[in-house]
Amino acid sequence: MGLGYKKLENGINKFRCVNGTKNAQEMMRSIRIHDAYTARILDEVWEEDGSWDALYKRKAKSGLDEVSLAHFQAAACYRQSNFLAAYNHQLTSYNAFLRVFLEMTRWGVHTLFAISKDLSEIALRADMQLRAAGAPTGKMEEATRAINQGFSMCMTDREPVLNQSRKWGTYHMANLLFGLYLRLHAYNLCVSMIRAIRASELPPLEAFPMSDQVTFRFYRGMLSFRSEKYHAAKEDLLFALEHCHRSAYSNKTRILIYLAPMLMMEGRMPHSRILRRYPVIKALYGDIAQAAKAGNIGRFAALMAEKEQQLMDLGVFLAVEHVHKIAVRQLLYKVYLIDGKPSRISFERFAQGFTAAGLPMDVAGVECVLVDMVFVGYIKGYLAHEHGMAVLSKQVPFPPITSCPAPTSLSNGI
Amino acid sequence: MAPLSSLGNGIPAYAAQVNGTNVALLSARISATGDDVFMDAQRPLSGAGAVTRGISDMNPFENTNGYYVPPQTAVPWRSARADQAPLYSAVHPYKKPKTAVPVKGPTPAALNKQITAGLNEAKLNAKAKLKVTKAPEWPVSLQNFVERSFEACSLAMRKPLEKQLQQIIASATNNNKMDTIDWDARPLPKACDKVKTSSTAAVKRPVKNAVAFVGASNSFADFDSAERKERRLLRFQQEAEAAKKAADENTALLIPPTPNTNDVREWDVDTIVGTCAKLEKSYLRLTSAPDPSQVRPLSVLHKTLDLIKRKWLEDSNYTYICDQLKSMRQDLTVQRITNEFTVEVYELHARIALETNDLGEYNQCQTQLKGLYAMGLKGHAMEFLAYRMLYSLYTRNKADIIAALKTMAPEEKRDPAVRHALNVRAAMATGNYHAYFQLYLSAPNMGGYLMDNFADRERCIALQKMCKAFRFKLSLSAITSELSFDDEEACVKFLTGLNITATHEGEHLATIDMKAAYPFAIAAMQKYNKVDIKGQIY
Repeated sequence: MGLGYKKLENGINKFRCVNGTKNAQEMMRSIRIHDAYTARILDEVWEEDGSWDALYKRKAKSGLDEVSLAHFQAAACYRQSNFLAAYNHQLTSYNAFLRVFLEMTRWGVHTLFAISKDLSEIALRADMQLRAAGAPTGKMEEATRAINQGFSMCMTDREPVLNQSRKWGTYHMANLLFGLYLRLHAYNLCVSMIRAIRASELPPLEAFPMSDQVTFRFYRGMLSFRSEKYHAAKEDLLFALEHCHRSAYSNKTRILIYLAPMLMMEGRMPHSRILRRYPVIKALYGDIAQAAKAGNIGRFAALMAEKEQQLMDLGVFLAVEHVHKIAVRQLLYKVYLIDGKPSRISFERFAQGFTAAGLPMDVAGVECVLVDMVFVGYIKGYLAHEHGMAVLSKQVPFPPITSCPAPTSLSNGI
Repeated sequence: MAPLSSLGNGIPAYAAQVNGTNVALLSARISATGDDVFMDAQRPLSGAGAVTRGISDMNPFENTNGYYVPPQTAVPWRSARADQAPLYSAVHPYKKPKTAVPVKGPTPAALNKQITAGLNEAKLNAKAKLKVTKAPEWPVSLQNFVERSFEACSLAMRKPLEKQLQQIIASATNNNKMDTIDWDARPLPKACDKVKTSSTAAVKRPVKNAVAFVGASNSFADFDSAERKERRLLRFQQEAEAAKKAADENTALLIPPTPNTNDVREWDVDTIVGTCAKLEKSYLRLTSAPDPSQVRPLSVLHKTLDLIKRKWLEDSNYTYICDQLKSMRQDLTVQRITNEFTVEVYELHARIALETNDLGEYNQCQTQLKGLYAMGLKGHAMEFLAYRMLYSLYTRNKADIIAALKTMAPEEKRDPAVRHALNVRAAMATGNYHAYFQLYLSAPNMGGYLMDNFADRERCIALQKMCKAFRFKLSLSAITSELSFDDEEACVKFLTGLNITATHEGEHLATIDMKAAYPFAIAAMQKYNKVDIKGQIY
């Protein structure tokens, strides 16, 4: 028996002891793959020295011993960059932990978070390794299913004392799962998870830690955004942006990617300060916002064509497309101003405006655009088809865009 | 009109299916194309000889007149008929005679003992084959017909005659034509080699039939010459032999086809190779493991596709074509054949379904095609990509649209058909109905059929906007042109459907009061809130 065996045994014993004292922080630390504690123990253990075999042959192991032994093995394999083996050990460790977790109360959720996060990370690496080797992947899916079990054990806990309930781990686990589901492109699972959370009897979201709230509302808002429920999406994303930790720069960028187009289609273009602070947002939307504001629909169309794939990949293309209406409104407004604010403008005149903006259109097309503008309320007045004239309202022919209902609420569903 | 009961040899194979719908199909086909099939019946069973060589080296369309001669149809049909008989006799429509004793027909004095024996034997045989437990009595005219046939038949031809009579009577029974057929005027079976033009039956026959049916042989002076008789005898014997042989084999191919690994991916122990040589087969949803004898192999399916294509061009009977294509798809699926032919079948069905607006079937084909193209099989991927986009626009399946947009390669976007579908999407997304209806008129391929389905929905949306924007009145002609109606009449019909009426000012100028129409346009949108598609797969 070498030193390694002693160290390992100590580690395993410690894990068991921590369970007795219910020290959540200590337990979490002692089970993390990347923690210095695990590294220190593993420094003394060598694959060849027989410590593993000796440990295996030991007397009957408890569930806790199984968790920590598999954890150390996973960590050892991880160090050697053998992620596939590491994944298998970590999954064993995870499943053993879930059995132990059943007996735990609220204090155990932090360990669950830690071990779930490690499992998802190792699964991701294992899949990458498998893909590189040309083998079929699927470890991520498997890990996600296992983590989903941990999530349900939190959500459906029946602990009568609410303060001690594992329910307090629900949103954290949900956020972890959102990330995994999105990575697997399983949007329907995200939606069904939100539905399950809504149906369960949980404390209100506001009672949870702010970090859980922000992350959860970001994901929920993003999913609402994808299904074009812009009103709900805006509410969630604005909350996330306002309450996001001030140093969480990249998280804020991610929120803004979805929030900016929604504000743009309501006529609120991103401020130059925002664009300066978030270069990603500037690169994505800076030019588009500028073109829309100037009513330069020719440039707007060119930019949309240029950025189409990029916007499509982010899933924001359809939202940015709605900004087109703002650009058209601005162009028509410019024609109105240039002509000295007349009370009636011919379709022909507007058509000239379109030509000037670099997107020539025939009169019938212009008429159709004007119909749309009147319909959404960007222009007050009416059209006279026989005379080919738009008769504008005397008070506010072009009401401020922000006072108009969002055009998407009137869209036909595509 | 040709005598329908003589169709025995010419009835296509789908009649062989013991299936209620096929009876209807069959009778519909008979009444529709009686003359054509009648001509087939006249043709000697040239295909039957070929059966023995196996179907692979035989072209089912190889005939001079352009009429289709089903190569094996007569034989399997005949063998299957015996099983059918009880089914049909159960619903036999005629009234049972009050007396169970058959009414005896007048026995001609010239009838000798042998003929009487032959007649009784034939009757017995026919009845036994039909398995009619309580046989409806034959009309007197039929009995006469049978007697006449035996009279006109030489001894050597007795056996083929029996067979043909059985067939004629069974087909009449099955089609409930027993008492509608004019048995006196009906030409005698082909086996009757002693037929004379002077016979009473021949005199009564309509001229057209006479020419078509027996005219050719009767016109020869040497009709009864020994040489001709002998040749005929030989021919009939061969024919009977071939028929018997084919019946024994019961549609199975002589050499069971071997699977081609190029055609079948993911081969495993459950993959079967069919041995059925019938070209046509009705679709029946499988409830158990497929039986290879009921499944057509690839070589047969190739011929089936040709046949179906031709039939579609001939009489566009979608119920029949859809049934056949579904059974083909099933055969391809159970044999796991995934090659360019599979693509062809699915494309054909998808196109036909589009033409007949069967969107449920279309969607099934489209879903399969998507997978087949993804495997790298050649086909019309771009054309169907465009259809898929239009279909998603119709069903407003946003997730599908986004997914399709995301995965589309730049060269796919450049394809004219796909480009068109993308423009339609953009027009709809930006609410540009003017662009939409221009694209509607210029839809490439069969996209127009798909767009027909949601043209009215888009018209309602556009009308709603126009009501608000034009506010007071708008001429009917403006709406007609803007919403791409064929003429003002169609426009009025559409508006009337929404309870919107046009008012006439002067002689020709009809206008719509847009303000009054607005509530109706809003109300019309209600029914488009949900799209319900039969057979939709998610």
